[in-house]
Amino acid sequence: MKVKLWGTRGSVPSPGPETIRYGGNTSCIGVTLADGSMLALDAGTGIRCLGLALPDEPTRLHVLLTHLHLDHIQGLVFFAPAFRPQTEIVIWGPASPEASLRDRIARYISAPLSPVEVRELPCDVSFRHCPESEWEIGSARIRAASVAHRGPTLGYRIDDGESSLAYIPDHEPALGADLDTLEADWISGLGLARDASLLICDGQYSDDEYPAHVGWGHSSTSHAISFARRAGARRTVLFHHDPLHSDEQLDRLGEVARRRWIELGGAAETLDLAVERAEYELSERAPSPLQAA
Amino acid sequence: MSTVTQKPLELILARNLMSALSTPAFLVDEGGVLVFYNEAAGTLLGKRFEELGTVGAEEWGSMFGPFDDAGQPIAYDELPLVVAVRQGRPAHANFEIGSIDGARHQVEASAFPILTAHGSRGAIAVFWPAGSNSGTGH
Repeated sequence: MKVKLWGTRGSVPSPGPETIRYGGNTSCIGVTLADGSMLALDAGTGIRCLGLALPDEPTRLHVLLTHLHLDHIQGLVFFAPAFRPQTEIVIWGPASPEASLRDRIARYISAPLSPVEVRELPCDVSFRHCPESEWEIGSARIRAASVAHRGPTLGYRIDDGESSLAYIPDHEPALGADLDTLEADWISGLGLARDASLLICDGQYSDDEYPAHVGWGHSSTSHAISFARRAGARRTVLFHHDPLHSDEQLDRLGEVARRRWIELGGAAETLDLAVERAEYELSERAPSPLQAA
Repeated sequence: MSTVTQKPLELILARNLMSALSTPAFLVDEGGVLVFYNEAAGTLLGKRFEELGTVGAEEWGSMFGPFDDAGQPIAYDELPLVVAVRQGRPAHANFEIGSIDGARHQVEASAFPILTAHGSRGAIAVFWPAGSNSGTGH
């Protein structure tokens, strides 16, 4: 399984010289499975560049949306494969009692917010609610579970052969919970993240910023580190950078995170801050940097 | 594959909320298993949840009573929490419960179901001392 980060920013695109190293595009991860199947995790503005990198030939793509906040769907109308008749796109996302996935996405892909309507997209597009049970796409088994954020929100786990990716970009598992002491089965998202080869998780706020953002649906650095420790993932990437964080601020936040990680017994090289265009190849199981708790 | 069997998010959030309340509250899963009660409920019952752990459906119904006005045990099916989880509707009742130390407490209980797009996840019951207008009065 190959993983490429096309958008690492949370909330709103934040291009500019001060964010050029970590990137300003919002959430999107490209995943190439062992059998060549292509997945996009979320469709923030990063999916525009993912689309441009795909070959112009008949393609079947699966887009797995964690939720429908704008920073996770904004790139859909700028996704080049959606404008190719030979492309088949399956969009997966959370169910809601309010309306179908298609109707909820159509609120964005419709006038006056968009120049095109869903029905006008030239590609063959379909919308599916994620089932509660595991399902297969290509060579992978996919699992989706609701996680603590604002509104219906999913996290994903993708198991492909011996490698696994857990993707929980918008997540506040510490809301009303002590991640260091709570039983594992009572921690939001932990079932998805446990022992993953790669965990991509929310680490939007510094510890100093978090108290002013309790309940906003995102994690502090310390909460992200605690969650990663409990998960026992082989590698962790802190994701969904705050749009106000410059590269220099993220450098400092990364130093703090690594110090804390090392204090807990982790290896420095197993914790990263998400960098746009960074690639990871997940091939086989390696020893966990921390014992899952 | 991951080996943690995750509790449904709705139960996780309910537990987190209940943990922050001073109103006694119970949480059961969709099968009626008592999966949590908060510190205030533990004070009422004389035993913290951490000491007791999860309790099977029907078993918890007899652990603490409840008793009707005549002191007779109330049928499990008639308890508000059971009505909420089995019938998917809110329920309310007055009854007496017994704590571990033998004390009896007259309480009012309101229960409501936790329903999601995927069906029932369980139910929550909150308790007030009978005749009180201010919950536990704290």
